Amino acid sequence: MAQLMKRRRFLTRLATGAATVAGAIAGGRLLSGPNLADAVACVRPPGALPEKEFLSACIRCGRCADACPNRCISAFTDEAAKTLAMRPGRHQRNTPVIFPRQQACMLCAGVSGDALLCTEACPTGALQRTAKTAEAIQEQVSMGTAVVDENLCHSFNGASCGVCVRACPFEGEALRAGMWEKPIIDPNVCIGCGLCERACVRYPQAIRVEPRALAV
Amino acid sequence: MKVELKKIQVLRRTVQVSVIVLLLFIPSVSRYTNYVAAREIDDLLEKWDGTLQGESLALIDGIFRGLPGGEKERVGQIVRDREGVLSQTQQFRGGSWSAQLGPISLSDPLGALESILARQKVVRVVVVSLIVPVIATLLFGRIFCSWICPVGFMLEMSDKLRGALRYLEIRPHDMHFSRGTKYVLLVVGAAIAFISAAPVLGYIYPPAIFNREAHDLVFGIFDRAEEGKFGFWAGGLTWMSLVLLGILLFEVFVSRRWWCRYVCPGGALYSLIGAARPVRVSLIAKKCTHCADCIVACPIGLNPMLNKMGVECDNCGECISSCHDDALKYALRLRGGEENVPVFDKSKAA
Repeated sequence: MAQLMKRRRFLTRLATGAATVAGAIAGGRLLSGPNLADAVACVRPPGALPEKEFLSACIRCGRCADACPNRCISAFTDEAAKTLAMRPGRHQRNTPVIFPRQQACMLCAGVSGDALLCTEACPTGALQRTAKTAEAIQEQVSMGTAVVDENLCHSFNGASCGVCVRACPFEGEALRAGMWEKPIIDPNVCIGCGLCERACVRYPQAIRVEPRALAV
Repeated sequence: MKVELKKIQVLRRTVQVSVIVLLLFIPSVSRYTNYVAAREIDDLLEKWDGTLQGESLALIDGIFRGLPGGEKERVGQIVRDREGVLSQTQQFRGGSWSAQLGPISLSDPLGALESILARQKVVRVVVVSLIVPVIATLLFGRIFCSWICPVGFMLEMSDKLRGALRYLEIRPHDMHFSRGTKYVLLVVGAAIAFISAAPVLGYIYPPAIFNREAHDLVFGIFDRAEEGKFGFWAGGLTWMSLVLLGILLFEVFVSRRWWCRYVCPGGALYSLIGAARPVRVSLIAKKCTHCADCIVACPIGLNPMLNKMGVECDNCGECISSCHDDALKYALRLRGGEENVPVFDKSKAA
């Protein structure tokens, strides 16, 4: 009996010890850098806090993704990012992200509610409640800024297109058509919703959203 | 009295099963919302008719069209009110980690705590989402574990497999660990959240994993339907579900209810919040015949006969239902009651 108890105690201690070591290794890995250590710049849902604060506040619950009527918010997993040759940083896994060329944010146009639905869904304020008015969106939303690659864009290469301009929710302000429908971007008005990138008929896209910088 | 308390277990099982159904319902509603918003729903209902995905969509469609504002009349025909349906589907979001049910926002205190510590700032939405869970826990203790937690339910069911193993004359081990582990894990997790400024326990906390996996599973099934493949498919699950399976197998073969008893950081937090709960299991000492059935029944491995149900008890009422002498009941009081003299005492037996 005493022998048996000894063995049991030994096994228990062994298991506890192994668990502690595993926990320490995992903890050490996580602690080995601040939360932006190996983070990548990505397009966050509207109303998101600056990346560093966002990663602190977000609890990765997925309520924003459930709320999105346009299915543009997905969890930033290795699987989801693979097709775009991206890899989430260690603290970015499962956080909400938008891949505009797959599905862009339509700023809840055409659905009911007086706020952007994902910002209303967030239980931690990682996405800050944003009213569905042009002024509030201009003030609170900065997902990124659109940039045009003039080498790819049809309108810069002798074939007028203008699809991106028609797709812009702030058409004429954020994105307006110049000569031969050349897109002209006003970075002060552009919020980075990505509808232009989604609409672009070129592949690879001639207009795309440059995500906001990681650190301000 | 007896019948009434048996009913508590029936009610508890009903709640647990409803929670699981709800956790699968919410991601399906999310997909339904997408299809309605994209005005694809009528085509899909026709195209997917008779398949698992089609029937689920039809069921959800029926529910939301039945709700007030779900239908309207257009040119003499009753049709779905797109706007109305979309505002109703917004009443369901999230899962067991954090959820929105109608006007009520609910967050697991563990997630909210980590978010607050990591951000080092308390904001209004977090506090609002904590109101219901914290008040319920202050009054009733760890009832999330025994009534709501989908993983708790899963593990409770797998606990029954141990009985089956015994029947096959395979004696499952029951290794004991320190109950302090979960408090250590809670403190370590909170410290990591504070130092590295990111919530981390959500990655290993089973209800949070279940939340993500339920979404992955349902979304995976609908993604497949969009590709023209139907039927049930578990391929949307990620390797994280293997963690849940691992815990389950460990509990069946090595240590009974290992996770909930010794490791769960969320359970630890709920225990601490509910430490001073007024609703407790208490013993009527003169009725107790010291049969020890309650000790066997207790999923947390406590001894209700000592009449000192401390922070660990999750008020599941299994001991009350198992008592043949009506000696146990829920009572309103703040501290452990009069001590019952145990007939057998471990310290004396050794």
